[in-house]
Formats: sequence, C-alpha cells, structure tokens
Amino acid sequence: MNAAILAVVVLLPVLAGALIPFIPFKNRLWMMVYIEAAVLLVTILMFVTLFNQPQEEFVLFRFAGNLSLSFKLDGLGSVFAGLVAFLWPLATLYSFEYMKHEGHEKYFFMFYTMTYGITLGIALAEDIVTMYCFYEALSIVTLPLVIHTLTREAILAGRTYVYYMLGGAAFGFIGLAFVLIYGTTSNFVPGGVLDFAKIGDHRNMILFTYVMCFFGFSIKTAIWPFCSWLPKAGVAPTPVTALLHAVAVVKAGAFAAMRVTYYSFGADFLRGTWAQGVVMAAVIITIVYGCSRAVKETHMKRRLAWSTVSNLSYVLFGVVLMSPLGLAGAMSHMVFHAFIKISAFFCVGAVIYKTGREYVHQLNGFGYRMPKVFVVFTISGLALMGVPGLAGFVSKWNLVKAALDAGTGAAYLGIAALLVSALLTAIYMMTIVVRAFFPGKDFDFSTISDVEDPNWMMILPLTVFTIAIIYFGVCSGWFTDMLEQISSVM
Amino acid sequence: MNSWILLPVCLPVIVGACLLISLAFDRRKDASGPSEEELKRLHILVFFTLIATTVFTLALVWAGKGSLALFEIVKGIPVYFQIDGAGRLFAAIFCIAWTAVGIYAFTYMPHEGKEKQFFAFYLIVFGVLIALAFSGNLVTMYLFYELMTVTSAPLVLHNGSREAIMASLKYLFYSMCGAYLGLFALFFLYQNCDTLTFTAGGTLNPELAAQNGTILLIAVFAALIGFGAKAGMFPLHAWLPTAHPVAPSPASAVLSGVIAKAGVLAVLRVVYYVAGADFLRGSWVQTAWMTLTLLTVFMGSLLAFREPVFKKRLAYSTVSQVSYILFGLSLLSPTAFEGAMLHTVFHMFIKCTLFLVAGVFIVKCNKTRVDELDGIGKQMPGTLWCFTFASLALIGIPPTSGFISKWYLAQGALEANVGVFGWLGPVILLVSALLTAGYLLPVTMKGFFPGKDYPSVPKDDAPKGMLYPVLFLTAIAVLPGVIPNPLIGFISRIADLVF
Repeated sequence: MNAAILAVVVLLPVLAGALIPFIPFKNRLWMMVYIEAAVLLVTILMFVTLFNQPQEEFVLFRFAGNLSLSFKLDGLGSVFAGLVAFLWPLATLYSFEYMKHEGHEKYFFMFYTMTYGITLGIALAEDIVTMYCFYEALSIVTLPLVIHTLTREAILAGRTYVYYMLGGAAFGFIGLAFVLIYGTTSNFVPGGVLDFAKIGDHRNMILFTYVMCFFGFSIKTAIWPFCSWLPKAGVAPTPVTALLHAVAVVKAGAFAAMRVTYYSFGADFLRGTWAQGVVMAAVIITIVYGCSRAVKETHMKRRLAWSTVSNLSYVLFGVVLMSPLGLAGAMSHMVFHAFIKISAFFCVGAVIYKTGREYVHQLNGFGYRMPKVFVVFTISGLALMGVPGLAGFVSKWNLVKAALDAGTGAAYLGIAALLVSALLTAIYMMTIVVRAFFPGKDFDFSTISDVEDPNWMMILPLTVFTIAIIYFGVCSGWFTDMLEQISSVM
Repeated sequence: MNSWILLPVCLPVIVGACLLISLAFDRRKDASGPSEEELKRLHILVFFTLIATTVFTLALVWAGKGSLALFEIVKGIPVYFQIDGAGRLFAAIFCIAWTAVGIYAFTYMPHEGKEKQFFAFYLIVFGVLIALAFSGNLVTMYLFYELMTVTSAPLVLHNGSREAIMASLKYLFYSMCGAYLGLFALFFLYQNCDTLTFTAGGTLNPELAAQNGTILLIAVFAALIGFGAKAGMFPLHAWLPTAHPVAPSPASAVLSGVIAKAGVLAVLRVVYYVAGADFLRGSWVQTAWMTLTLLTVFMGSLLAFREPVFKKRLAYSTVSQVSYILFGLSLLSPTAFEGAMLHTVFHMFIKCTLFLVAGVFIVKCNKTRVDELDGIGKQMPGTLWCFTFASLALIGIPPTSGFISKWYLAQGALEANVGVFGWLGPVILLVSALLTAGYLLPVTMKGFFPGKDYPSVPKDDAPKGMLYPVLFLTAIAVLPGVIPNPLIGFISRIADLVF
C-alpha cells in the first residue's frame, strides 16, 4: 500500500472542510450529506490504512536542511488515529442535530471538519517538526469553534484558550529545538533519539528542557497549574466540548507528551531523574485537584470538563511512569476515557439541546423523561468510577499494574490518588444520577412534561459509545495485548 | 452442571430489570398508582421469583461444589464463580432471610407506596448478593460488591424525602470510599499473590510477601477498613445509623441483617482466602483491627442505649453486633472464627426479626420512638413475644443462639494468645451484652407492663402476612441455640480448611 494515503487522509478533511462555505448547497440536507460523506470517506480510508499498516514514510515537502513535513504510521500513531477516526463520523452526526440551535453552521462545520485532518496529522506525523506544525495548526483551527457563539464570555474564553495554547506550543518548541540539536535525528524512534556523546555533562539542562517541553505539550492536556482554560472553553457548543475538549485536542496533548517522552527524549534517560519527579508531582496533583473542582462545580459541562482535567492526568500518569507498561496503561485510558467522556458530554448536550438547562440542580426527574439519555449517562458514570465490567476499570487496572511494576513511592502515591479521584468521581457523577432518577416525593412531574429523548441522530452515537464501553469492559484482552505489544518495542 | 450457578443470579436480576423497565413506561402513562389487580400480580411474580431463586440457591448449596469462569474482566482474571464452604453458608442464609423479609414486605409496602420500584431493586440486590456469595476471586467479588452498593441505594431512598435521599447519598459515598480502599488492597494483593482465586488459607507468595511486607500490611489494613464500612466498623460506620432507619422497614431489616454481612464476607475473603491468617497473626494490623472492632462494639452499644428512636437504636445495635463478628475474625483463631460465623448466622436472623417488629409497630400504630411503645404488648402480644425472644438471643442468654456464638467468641479470645485482648475482649463483650439488655429489654418490660394506669386496649395483633414471617425468623434465630450441632459441625469444617 502506498504511503501517500497518509497524506490523503490528512489533507482531504482539511480541503473538504475549507470548501464548505463556498459550495452553494441546495438545502441543509445536502450539506449534511456532503459533510458526513467526506468524514466517513476519511474514516474508511484511515481504517483501511490501519489494517494494511504501510511501513514506508511519505514526505510531503522539505523545509531547509533536513527538516521535512512527513508522515509515517506506527503503533502509537495507529491507536490515536484509529480512535479519532472512529469517533469523528459519530460526533459529526450528533452535531448536525445539535447545531440546529446554534447557528452559523457552515463555518462551524468548516472548522470542525478541518480539525479532523489536523488531528490525524498529529497522529501520523513522522517527526517532531511535523507534529509541532500540526500541533500549532490545531490550536488555531479550533479557536473559531470555541468562540462560536460570539458572546462576551465565549470571546474571553477564546482569548484564554489561545494564550494558553500558543504559550504551551512555545515551551514545546524549546524541547523541539533541543531534540534537534542533541538528537541523532528529528524522527520519532522508540526509546529516544538523544545522542549521549553530544550531551556530555549537559544532562541537567536536557532534563530541564524536557520538563519545559512536557509542560508545554501538556498544557493542551490541562495539567495543573495550567488547567483553567479547559473548563472555561466549555462555553463552546457541546460537540466541540465533547469531541475536541475531551478527545481530539486534549488527547493530542497527551499524545505529544507520549511522543516526546518515549520517542524523543527516551524513557530510559528520564526514569529516576528529578525531571520525572517534577512531572509526576504535577500529574498527581492534577488528578486530585481536577476532580475536587468537579465536585464543587454545579454547571454540568464545566463539571465534566474538570473531570476531564483529572482523567487526562490519569493518562499522563501512565506516561510519566516512563515504562512500557505505563505507556500501555496510558494508551488504554486515552482510548477508554474518550468513549466514556464523549458519551457523558453528549448526554449533557442532549439535555441542553432539548431544554436549555445547564445546571445540575435543574435535572430533577429527568431520568423518567429522557430515559435513554440518562441510562447512557449512568453507564458512563459507572465506567468513569471504575466499576468492573466496564471499560474504565480496565484502563485503571492497566495503569495500576504499571505503577506496581514501577514500585516507587511516587507510583504508590499515584495509585492512592487514582482511588481518591475515583471516590470523588462517584460523588460528582452519582449525585446527578440520583437526582435524575429519584427527584424526591414532592416533585411535580408536570414541570418537565415537555422534556423528551432526542432523535436518532443523537441516540445512535450514544448507543455506539455505550456498546463500546461495555464491550471493552468484558473483553479487553486482545486490546491490552495489542497495546503492550506496541509499547514493548521501547 | 456448572452454568447452573448463573441461574439464581440472573433470574432475580432479570425479573427486577423487567420491573424497572415497565416502571419507566408506567410513569409516562399517568401518575395514579397501580390498581389492586396489578399489585396482586406483582406480588405473585415477586413471590415466585424469590422462592425459585431460594430453591435454586439451596440446591447449589446442597450440591456443594462447582465453578464457572465467564469472560475476562482484565487480562488473566475472569468473572469466576465457585461454590465453597463460606460461600455455601452465606448464600444459604442470605436467601432464607431475603425471602422471609420479602414475604413480609408484601403486607408492609402498601404503607410506603411505590411498590414496583421497591421490589424491582429488592430482587436485583438479591441476585447480586447470591453472586457475591459464590464469587470465586477477588475481582469478581469486588465487581458484585460495587453493584450491590449501587443497586441497594434506591432501597434506602425509597420514600423520597430529602432526609432519605441525603442518607442514601451518604450510604453510597461511604460504601464507595470503602470499596476503593478495598480496591487499593486488591491491587497490591494481585501483585503479591500467586492467584486471586479464593483458596482457604491464602494465596500469598511467601517470597514477594517477605519483600513487600510493609506495603502489603498497609494494603490489607485498608481493605479491612474499607470492606468494614459495609459492616459498620469504626471509622467508616457513620452512614449506618443514618441510612438504615430511613429505609422502609423490610429494607432496614435486610440492610442491617444481610447487606452488613456482605461486608463481613468481603473481610473474611480478603483475610482468610487471599492474604491468609498466618500473614496477619501478630502484626500491627491485627492489633489495630482488634482495637477498632472492640471500640465499635462498645461505642455502638452505648449509642444504642442512649437512642430514643426505635429503628435508630436497632441500627446502632447493628454497628455493635456486627463488630462482634469482626472481632471474632480479627482474633485469627479457629474457635473465634467459628464464633464469628455463628454470630453472623444468628445476628442476621435476629436483626431481621427486630427490624420487622419495628416495622409492625410503624404500620399498625405509627409509633417510632421507644417511649411511645408502652403497653404495646397488650395490643400485639405475639409480635412483642417475638421481639422478646430475639432480644434474649441477641443479649446471649442461654439456651438461645446468641449465647453459643458469644461463648465461642469469648473462648476464642482466651485461646488466641493475643495478650491483653485475650481478657479485654471478653470483658467488653460482656459489658456490651449488659448494654444490649439495657436497650432492648425495657421495650419488652414497658410493652407488657405499662403500669396500672394504662387503659385496657383490645388485642389487635399484626396481620398474618407480617406475623408469620416474623415468627419464622424468630424461630430460626432462636432455636439453633437448642440444637446447634449441625451448624457448628458445618462451620468447623470451614474453619479446619482456613487454618
């Protein structure tokens, strides 16, 4: 199979998206068909590529010197690309219904579809320069989606968003420069590319740049103390919050952190150094801090956003364990959390779309009026808490297995943090479920008589996600094997 | 043969789930309650489900062996059921108590309303409990333990008052906190054990255990505290006196009588079937555990003694009595172990009886406080006699059942070679027994002898649907004191295996 297809899946959505405002669609239906067809086509191409696993690289063009924009598919990239490709068509379907009430659809779908290509670009990038380019592009192309409603709040949130993103990328750039100088190649190589002869006694400096670079890329993953942008960005339409701020954008950050840790600096070089201590401390703090804020928050989307902050740091916890098992754990939580959180966000989005209610205390009795949505929400809540038999438990198990394997005090502390966070998760998710299904004896159901389940365009994605959550909960063996095989090449 | 294990698990869960689904449709149609006809059908359905499940479970208990592995939850660890001694004992008593209380609920629940919802969750929790008893490895047990917590919370919040909802959330979060402490232990046990499958005597790998001793002890201690939460052990006991009394009386009965024992079962499994008694013997964990249980025994009794609300008093009594069981387990000696198992059986039936009697008082005369119960024996002598017998058994007066279990517990403490606890334990048990007499017997005394000024009241005992289950439970709670040998024989065979 020709590796040029890698460039096709990246550029096709960008092109298809950019064309949307210029095509004179007869009506809304045609636009929907066009977008869904384009997105589905890319997804199909992506999966065909994943099954064929082309080994060669594809160079799009070269900058000066040996820097180039080039793509190559490897294990880690396959996982992220597969995840994104699976979710995007479903999320697009959901957005068609949801965006009816937001307006400016053409521009929304333009950027939404372009983001797809750019996220795939990050997943398929062969070297740190390519990844960095797409990483910057991702920040820029998602900005219009955050400020979509053009309210004052949205614009302020957009400003915060852009400051954090560009600031983060700048830090990431420092790491990039040092990898180029001190590495043997700019490509991603399992185990790292640092040239120890060149480093000599500059070890601490390299570690320092790693810390800078890790925090820079992890800003997208909302690591403490740079996490406040994510809940603020919750003003965006729900499809954006769900797909971008629970999966694509934030996990691109985690993905970049994996790349620099395992494929550029090298886990062996970093393990046991003070740099690992620093990033581990930040990650553990984020895990607990994120869900404490989620418990305090009463706005539903912001609550889920804080929950995302915490759960993303589960992924980063796996990353900073700096071991193959840690990477496998991180990847499994990256995938499973994506399903769980997008499902939870879509439920909340359905409530907002149907009723306009955004706060937890307004949800009394909704379980009876929107049974499908709240059954899905309950399942995703249980999965997020880590009840065995659902996907969330599997990824937690994999993370803890890696932590036990590492066997350091910090790793044990991380396990404790995961469990504290699980308890807080139970609190912030179950209070919603109890409210929805048990509104209390004096509750007057006539106040919510107009509330009902949304149509199939919203229910279908939710069903698929729920099936995935249950499926991975009951047979995750092959998936864990696959991830461990991918990470074992370190 | 082996896949029959799924039958008593799935049957009540499926029936319960169907009831929930039909409930969702009812709610959409109209707000008016179900008709007589519908209620009757519901009762028949629930009745036959309970009986069928009990029969299947007892058949499995009788068969006495078998195991079944389903899909893998995580790599290498399947959902695994196996029927062993402890599982048989717990499954048998779970289903007898659950069915008896369920039959009582048919008459009680019209008083509370929303019967469909109640019975739906009642059945689901039943299936989950059977699964918990037959769980064959730690992860499976953890799975059903979590499910039990989640599915039993609706029983607590049944009446829908703000108080009940807050109580159920408190219940949920304490239990979750406990479960996660248990999960913490599970991770470390997984690392240091040859297998997580329950094996009498423990599966700890000696080399790894020697290497990771400290963290492993901390982990086991976390499990004791965590699973002890369900059993109302200090320091995670505070939910119990809040949550048990606000539930409808049948639910209080099973929460106190049965679900608290699920916590005991979990502790039992971790200590005797995974970590192994030898690993804990003489460690700081054993000392700390004994201290906590004795503290809980004393504190529970004292608080019960001071409590004026009847059901709340019984809930404090549960706190105290379940820690008798845990104290027996913490001694790590065969005799004390037998005492603990005996007390598990007896306390389950006794506490179900007591709560059901409290339910009768609520339904018949709407009396919830102890000081309102003067002269109740004139009106309902049968009910109060049941209460009296159960109380005597709980205090431990020979020849009732409670005497036997306490005798074994005290003897076990003296034998166990645990230093100061060898005599401190029996002393505290004795003091607590006196307090038990102090908080239970006044109800009987004032109930039968309200004083000469008390106006004569017509005899109006509990309806048959409530009285017969109460009589039945009283009988099986008290009578084993007279013929204890079959039960003791069964339990000592379990004890022989684990030590």
